[in-house]
Amino acid sequence: MLSLTLAACGSSSSKSSGSTNSSSSGNSTGSTAQVSGTLNGSGSTFQQIFEQSLITGFKSVQSGATVTYDGTGSTAGKTALANGTADFAGTDSPVKTTETAQYKGKALLYFPIVGGPIAVAYNVGGLKNLKLSPDTLANIFQAKITKWNDAAIKADNPGASLPSTTITVVHRSDGSGTTSNFTKYLAAASKQFTLTPGETVSWPAGTVGAAKNPGVASAVTKTDGAIGYVDYSTAVADKLNMASIKNSAGSFVAPSLAGSTAALDAATINDDLTFSPLNEAGATTYPITSPTWILVYKNQTDATKAAVLKAYLAYALGAGQQLAAQSYYSALPQSLDQKAVAQIAQITVGS
Amino acid sequence: MTPTTVPVPLAGTRRSWGDRAFRSVTLASGLLVLLVLVLIAATMTGKAWPAFRHAGIGFVTKDNWDPNNNHFGALSLIYGTIVSSAIALVIAVPVSIGIALFVTELAPAGVARVVTVIVDLLAAIPSVVFGLWAILSLALTVQGPYKNLSNLTKSIPIVNSLFKGPVQGASIMTAGIVLAIMIVPIISSLARAALATVPESDRAAALALGSTRWEAIRVAVLPKVKGGLWGASMLGLGRALGETIAVALIIGQSTHVSADLLHPGATMASTIALEWQEAGGEHASALIALGVVLFVITIIVNSIARGITRRSEARLAA
Amino acid sequence: MSAVPAPAGHLTSSISAGRRARNWLATVWMVGAVLVALVPLIFIMLQVVRKGLSIVLKNFPDFLTKPIQVQSIFAGGGMGPAVVGTILITGVAALIAIPLGVLAAIYLNEYGAKSRFASILRFFSDVMAGVPSVVMGLFVFTIYTLHRSNGDKLVAFGGSLALAALMLPIVIRSTEEMLKLVPNELRSASLALGCPRWRTTVSVVLPAAAAGIISGAMLAIARAAGETAPLLFTIGLTYTSNWRLFHNQNTTLSRQIFSNSGIGFPAATDRAWAAALTLIAIVMILSVAARIISSRFNAVIIAS
Repeated sequence: MLSLTLAACGSSSSKSSGSTNSSSSGNSTGSTAQVSGTLNGSGSTFQQIFEQSLITGFKSVQSGATVTYDGTGSTAGKTALANGTADFAGTDSPVKTTETAQYKGKALLYFPIVGGPIAVAYNVGGLKNLKLSPDTLANIFQAKITKWNDAAIKADNPGASLPSTTITVVHRSDGSGTTSNFTKYLAAASKQFTLTPGETVSWPAGTVGAAKNPGVASAVTKTDGAIGYVDYSTAVADKLNMASIKNSAGSFVAPSLAGSTAALDAATINDDLTFSPLNEAGATTYPITSPTWILVYKNQTDATKAAVLKAYLAYALGAGQQLAAQSYYSALPQSLDQKAVAQIAQITVGS
Repeated sequence: MTPTTVPVPLAGTRRSWGDRAFRSVTLASGLLVLLVLVLIAATMTGKAWPAFRHAGIGFVTKDNWDPNNNHFGALSLIYGTIVSSAIALVIAVPVSIGIALFVTELAPAGVARVVTVIVDLLAAIPSVVFGLWAILSLALTVQGPYKNLSNLTKSIPIVNSLFKGPVQGASIMTAGIVLAIMIVPIISSLARAALATVPESDRAAALALGSTRWEAIRVAVLPKVKGGLWGASMLGLGRALGETIAVALIIGQSTHVSADLLHPGATMASTIALEWQEAGGEHASALIALGVVLFVITIIVNSIARGITRRSEARLAA
Repeated sequence: MSAVPAPAGHLTSSISAGRRARNWLATVWMVGAVLVALVPLIFIMLQVVRKGLSIVLKNFPDFLTKPIQVQSIFAGGGMGPAVVGTILITGVAALIAIPLGVLAAIYLNEYGAKSRFASILRFFSDVMAGVPSVVMGLFVFTIYTLHRSNGDKLVAFGGSLALAALMLPIVIRSTEEMLKLVPNELRSASLALGCPRWRTTVSVVLPAAAAGIISGAMLAIARAAGETAPLLFTIGLTYTSNWRLFHNQNTTLSRQIFSNSGIGFPAATDRAWAAALTLIAIVMILSVAARIISSRFNAVIIAS
């Protein structure tokens, strides 16, 4: 209980790094006071693997605290935060205007934690190094381009030998932040994309839905002529061919962690730390980059949970950033990370 | 038989306090079912109301499921639910009754026991495992036969539109096949139990009169258990209509009405399961509304089935 | 009515070719049906065993007791918490649903019989069987989970309630079918001996139908144990075993299969198959146990 009180007191000052370090965490930015209690998070499946790394790492420096993270989907996570079934939510998109009512006016804080590329994976004979411009990509996913040797694809890939195979578009059958960010990108980058972006898109007839990232990956692997979008980590794990996408600066960039960190860096950050890294310019910027946040109430009612939450956030934005690359996430750029760390102090405890 | 000291022989009409208490307890359990169902209906309809009010009758007549534009015409989902469950029943009922007959009428006791255990094993396989198996292997192996089916039926009118292609492994047909596999244990287990009630003497009598085994089954066994077989099939249908995860993984989730059974489709349950986690506001309300519609469809299906059973029983009595 | 006379002699001598052909066709149908059901079972079991067994055996029996590996993309860890959760949540669901279902079925068959009220009840219990599991989860979430105190909303009992609601109509329907099968002569005999109706039901009818009732209940348990959807909103997640019904979050094998199969890394997929194998094994053991119990029951009846 003593440690809790310490942490709770620490929260009222701007930074709680005053206590002498008894643990061996190399984290210089966050609180190192020992906390205990449980903290349950749920939401975005995109950040699930990173959360798991964080939870493991956090346990090693804060053995008294238990954190869980259930990958139930961003919208479910936001709802869970609102109805009290979760202490924090993971989300790939800011709270929509239709969703604000459920928080009953209580202030929220966004903590960006990592980012990651969404890969366009394909399987066309032995074709490698496919290049796609936003318009071509938009028309393929709207089933307007139906053959791999279409003139638009040829124009993006001069000199490549393209077969006449029929294109099979594979999309997510479940509602997904990946779909949301992918379609938001298409809407931003191509005027020819006329579907309404969102988590569940009304894809044209004849396209095939597959469940979650592995479902899409396996459908792409098993179907000649298939194209689909998946999180980068899945594409790497399943060794899929990934297309280079033409960004708004005009260069074709293959998905990579550096490319998506560049996108995060190029994005305009709002005061509440929301931003969109989609379709950013820059020679090395990968344009389809997904952001992801931890969403919490600014005012915490339970001092125990608040202490664990602050320690956890400090870890995620401090030492935790080193864990990003091992599971194929891109770490936050320095400037954004510092803003997020500074925001931890805004969390207050009261009733 | 437990010995008893109650001396009055007219026990059937006599109501002891124990009888009255026991009757009340069983009645209360029965009423609980109604209570739960009323609660489900009330909470669901309440939550579904915004979607119903917004979409009106279009919710069940329009084919435009587009959550991002707040268009919720669920016709394609209703269609997919009914068609996939119908395929499942067409396959599963003959198979299940065949198994039940094999076990009760044909096989020696040892073989029957083994078959029973094996079929019950099918029931032990979780839905998500069926889904994984279906998407990882069944979806690939059916593509060849589907192509043949599509080619074979090319020149037959009407039928050709059902199997037009280009064929997809993830399709309404595959979902129906998986559902069929999943409901076989339910139907066959209940069918088996029903068949076991027919007294051995009835079969013996038929056989003694010179019937073949099949004739004995057809004349002496099946008519007696018709109601039981219908009940079994209904429970199977109930499961098929509401089955969620396996269908969600294999049906390809395309929210458009398509006569082609070899194309992706969607069911109400699969849509609820797949879209729920990223649904907020009116979308969530529309998904619950799907649950309500499924409810109503189950009521209709059950009414029809009950009508048929009653008629067949009446005919039997006449 | 002793043993069935072997009709072989009749078959060969006095039965026309057409009748014999029909008999033969029917036999083909019955045997074929068994084979058709066997094919998918064999394929699925082979796949589950092939992919899951090595993971389970790699550290057996620790796999069944060790905490769950938090970082699902790496190999290792066990399924202890999920085994605990499955047994706890499904077990409590069965304790709720089976007695209630059997009692309701007794009402339907022994008291209500052909009355209008009973047929309404029967009808709606079948309707209840068609409620999608995901909707059932949502229902429990609305009437139970949301009303629990803050910070401890997601607990095992919420999952049990949802699973019990799913099991209830199956138990009612299958139990009633079994009760119907009990010959009326047994009831009449018991009543004539002066047993009140409830004694007759409890000590004559129920034991006579026990085998069937248990096998129906097993079907219900098997279905419930494999359910994922209703647990998505009701039980949360834990990495360490939690035997408490009303405190802290929990997890089950089905939930672990579901979430691990959604992660595209081999270690997670392997873990999903291993969890599936474990779940099937648990349900099988339960089935076999129930079968033994029910055959004992039968033996007792026959002996008495």
